[in-house]
Amino acid sequence: MTTVSIWRWPTPSGLPPLPLVGGALALLGALWLTAPVVEVDFVRLLGALGRMVAFAGQMFVTPDWHYVPQLLAKMLETIEMTVLGTAIAIVVSLPLGLLAAGNATPHPLVYRITRDLLSLMRALPELVWALVFVSAVGLGPLPGVMALAFVTVGFMGKFFAEAIEVVDHKAVEGVRAHGAGWLQVRLFAMLPQALPDFVGTVMYILDHNLRAATILGLVGAGGIGYDLVMSMRLFQYDRLLLIALAIYLVVTLLDRLSDRLRSRIIHGARA
Amino acid sequence: MSAISIQSVSKRFPNGCEALMGINAEIQPGSFTVVLGPSGAGKSTLLRVLNGLEASTDGSVRIGGETLGKGNLRKLRASVAMVFQQFNLVDRLSVVTNVLTGRLAHRSWVGSLFYLFRTEDMEVARQALARVGLTDKAWSRADKLSGGQQQRVGIARALAQRPKVILADEPVASLDPVASEEIMALLREIRDRDGITVVVNLHQVDLARRFADRIIGMNGGRVVFDGTPAELSPQALRTIYQREGMEHDNSLDLALAYA
Amino acid sequence: MNIHDLKSARPPQLSLPPKPRNPMPVWVATTLVTLWLIVWDLDISFEALVYGVADMGEYFSRYGQPDFSDLSRYLELMGITLATALWGTAFALLVAFFLAPLAARNFAPNPVAYRVAREILNFMRAMPDLLLALIFVAALGLGPLPGALALGVHTAGFLGKFFAESLERVDQGVCEGVAATGANFPQRVMYAGWPSILREALGYTLYILDRNVRMASVLGLVGAGGIGLALHDTLRLFDYGQSAALILVILATILIIDYASAWLRGRLG
Repeated sequence: MTTVSIWRWPTPSGLPPLPLVGGALALLGALWLTAPVVEVDFVRLLGALGRMVAFAGQMFVTPDWHYVPQLLAKMLETIEMTVLGTAIAIVVSLPLGLLAAGNATPHPLVYRITRDLLSLMRALPELVWALVFVSAVGLGPLPGVMALAFVTVGFMGKFFAEAIEVVDHKAVEGVRAHGAGWLQVRLFAMLPQALPDFVGTVMYILDHNLRAATILGLVGAGGIGYDLVMSMRLFQYDRLLLIALAIYLVVTLLDRLSDRLRSRIIHGARA
Repeated sequence: MSAISIQSVSKRFPNGCEALMGINAEIQPGSFTVVLGPSGAGKSTLLRVLNGLEASTDGSVRIGGETLGKGNLRKLRASVAMVFQQFNLVDRLSVVTNVLTGRLAHRSWVGSLFYLFRTEDMEVARQALARVGLTDKAWSRADKLSGGQQQRVGIARALAQRPKVILADEPVASLDPVASEEIMALLREIRDRDGITVVVNLHQVDLARRFADRIIGMNGGRVVFDGTPAELSPQALRTIYQREGMEHDNSLDLALAYA
Repeated sequence: MNIHDLKSARPPQLSLPPKPRNPMPVWVATTLVTLWLIVWDLDISFEALVYGVADMGEYFSRYGQPDFSDLSRYLELMGITLATALWGTAFALLVAFFLAPLAARNFAPNPVAYRVAREILNFMRAMPDLLLALIFVAALGLGPLPGALALGVHTAGFLGKFFAESLERVDQGVCEGVAATGANFPQRVMYAGWPSILREALGYTLYILDRNVRMASVLGLVGAGGIGLALHDTLRLFDYGQSAALILVILATILIIDYASAWLRGRLG
């Protein structure tokens, strides 16, 4: 008798487990169904590959060095918007975070309302709010900062609330036992414990906001984004190259910095 | 030809710790060797060097006449199976799949990518599980088993490799006495029936005495004893277990008397 | 100054050890000054802000009557947006699946592959997705496909990093257990790697899907299709009724996705 080598899965039946197959089929089915909607067309993709290479080739031009001073000014503006928007958001979201934390909130109703408010604030991306704020207060960095702060409050308030919810209950009891008032318990028992988490969150959000700030200029809300779009529309590749490089550099720098800081905080907390 | 030939192997870790200092040993095919010694003697490092999990800084290891190197590492590993103190099973995979990982070296990566195995590999795994007496647990998740059972899965994984040598690094250190006894008996039976060369790291003297053909005593990264269990005199034990500046310590004799 | 001066300068009575210097006030002052400088440099006029806020009530009231007459078109656009996010996430998943093991120190077959994979992931993460979308629109023409690609490239960087970090936390013993059988790189990844981090990885993927839905709804602003383009047009035309309706549709969808993914993550965790 010849043994025919057959492939099988390590399951009792030799067939792959049903939930896995179901999940994979559902995902592939969804992708297949939506392919025409997204206009996925591999021929077109391959055709575009040539254009992508050509585009990349055009990027390799002598950079427009005269543009550098303006670039630096615009990058500075972008960073400033990020910092200011984040700072405003921290101030606003600390109290909101307290209200939205299950163990610090004065009333369950306040908790519910604050939570929903926060999730509404972070539902839409910065760019949409920037559009709205530009219509309201005019062009410039102001609507950009407002949009950044607005969405950031939504995220940070939620993160803060979650950090407060996991603080050690015993320390809170201890402070309360010494006769501390409502606000004192929150200021001296809950916030200090949640602080390392806060700092990690702030670095994470700063990172996110810098990326967001680079594109707000698209709708006239300040920063490098406007120059980016214009140089692209006007095919000024000598500028585009510099802008892309600058964005890449600044984002990477902050990314590394926040990685290092976060790991230091985590290890510091462990020691 | 020896199954394993260890020639002046030294290992120095990047932190400067010298774990092995010029180890020489020949391990005969089909033998049951126990490497005995206190913690930190370099037993684990020696076994890990034999499987290529650590590269020696000096000297060479020959498995079945072939010198262990970067090029043939995977090929030699397939014939030198390893059993670990912490079992080192993949918790989330079923027992059978864990045993089937023993077949990976014999198969290309294409099937592995989809968790596909040949029917004959399945048969190998079934036999290995039958040998360790865990057929009924085949479809459970590995982390649902007791320590003794997990170690038996570890041995089944080693058997599924169809190896020439099984290296067991402190296989019973995390187990209770009954389970330890079972595991040692199982390893001994594998040696007796399949003729697989077995090298076991232990720190329990009584287990070593009862199961080994040959005992290699290590201390401070050197071989300090090499002989049969019968030759393992109290004097020899003292050499194996002595610590620096502790030559005239009673506690050592006391501990050894009850070992 | 000699030792005598020091001795005479010391107060005679027993006192508490010198208070450790608290750098907090310095930090606070530096931060405030920096922020003030930023406000000054950005030329943010508080007048404009105050007027803006005063007008804001009136401004937002214009959004009071959402105009849902075109709802079916909005829903269709939202569908396109969701499909874009799905394809972007699938693309990111595919790329991350192959890159993450190379970017995990304990799995990477050699240091060069590790470095290269890390740098590729960093680069993909550093490029904002709207910038990528602009580039892809230039290469592929208008439509949702460049949007999906942009989302995919950008979030592949994130997913790859998350996965790699999870893989680096896999127990070393488990990795060695599989490696000691003679398994090669892809086998080690498939047997020691992915099964151990499956749950975390699914959580990250859902999180990225969630994020991509948000971003997909604004990609239309750069011509990458979907509901963002419609919103852009109606806002430009000061058609507040339709804008309000579009914002509500986006908001509702994002909230639904938010709750669904929170529920799924809860079930996984």
